[in-house]
Amino acid sequence: MKKIVLATLLALSSAVASAHTLWVVPSHFVLSSEDSWISVDVSAANMTFVPDRGVSPNNLAIVFPDGERHAFAQSYQGRRKSQADHQLTMDGTYRIELAGPARYFTFFQQDGERRRILANKDERAAQLPANATDVLTTRSRGRALSFVSVNAPNDTALALSQQGLELKLLTHPADVVATEPVRWQFVLDGKVAAGVQVELSREGELYRDDAGRELMTTDAQGMLAFTPPVAGRYVLEASLTEDSTDPLADRVRETLTLTFEAALP
Amino acid sequence: MRLLLIPVAWLLGFGLLAPTSQAQELSISLELPVIETAQYYRPYVAVWVEDETQQSVRLIALWRKEPDWLKDIRRFWRKIGRSETELVDARTGATRTPGRYQLSWDGLDDAGKPVPAGQYTLLVEASREQGGRSLQRQSFQWDGSSQQYTQDAMPELGELRITLN
Repeated sequence: MKKIVLATLLALSSAVASAHTLWVVPSHFVLSSEDSWISVDVSAANMTFVPDRGVSPNNLAIVFPDGERHAFAQSYQGRRKSQADHQLTMDGTYRIELAGPARYFTFFQQDGERRRILANKDERAAQLPANATDVLTTRSRGRALSFVSVNAPNDTALALSQQGLELKLLTHPADVVATEPVRWQFVLDGKVAAGVQVELSREGELYRDDAGRELMTTDAQGMLAFTPPVAGRYVLEASLTEDSTDPLADRVRETLTLTFEAALP
Repeated sequence: MRLLLIPVAWLLGFGLLAPTSQAQELSISLELPVIETAQYYRPYVAVWVEDETQQSVRLIALWRKEPDWLKDIRRFWRKIGRSETELVDARTGATRTPGRYQLSWDGLDDAGKPVPAGQYTLLVEASREQGGRSLQRQSFQWDGSSQQYTQDAMPELGELRITLN
């Protein structure tokens, strides 16, 4: 029973992930007083910052400016969005991160239908039906990030893990300003990630006819250069599907969302 | 000859023979307008000078209260406030009621050194709780010449007048 529930949950979250964008959005990106609290909303939604489905806050963490990782002090899973609170007790830049471990899915055709099991390439032989065809195993991982700075920003929490798709924030998130250029670089497992598809959206889509989304692709050096047109809150969503160098998968699929604000000039 | 040289060197050393062209001063006249609203709080105001690379060289005035709202003087916060804690403390003054205020700049940077001649920009930023934010910018030449400029009034700031002489 437990196994079925777990599989169903994973299937659901995966379905949500494929149709919706998963984002974290902090109550503040910039703070000027010590020991401030922040509240973080987490939702999976189609429209930027219009919450649709609350997701589990269990995998939500906050990395302090000294690099220490903390669980949130309190959290609540709502129907439309989840919320977590934490007190920011030191100066510098904090990373808010919703990220689970990479998961392996094996897809196959059976009796004319596309099916899926939770198995990597080592595990799949024991679980696949005898008449399965078109077998493909995908390693899938998603991250949702945001950065908050209290007084002077610093770079410790911007450090990369060298695992999966990550963003080197050459322009510090606290220095993103409307009408000024931003330069960020994508890496996959620590190596430059060319050809990453990126969609940039900003808040207020519900109240304008033109959503104003911008589609971009990283260049050969994994670089992404853009200029936020107006001040406000943005979501950058990036995804990459590649042949796998992981022996347990045929291909890897990585997604990353970053919520940030462009300040007034 | 020797007897003459020594007093001249002393005079130079004490700055008594400094060239008079460095006596340029920037005079600033800014206004906090009267705003009719249900809940009026005095604005937080910052006045500073940036160089051509948009780096602050001198914080002239900062009128504010609690640290919580200092970040709402947005550009000031990014350029100066978030990292220059001591400077912020040193320049902090009380918030002001609506009216016209006179300030001046002597061409010294925050460390007390004269800035090189060149183009600079004066910035006046005002942010009001339950109100708006206005930012006035006026570029000028710091080269000893006489100049006069005005910037139109904005919702949170009246007409800005600056004079160099």
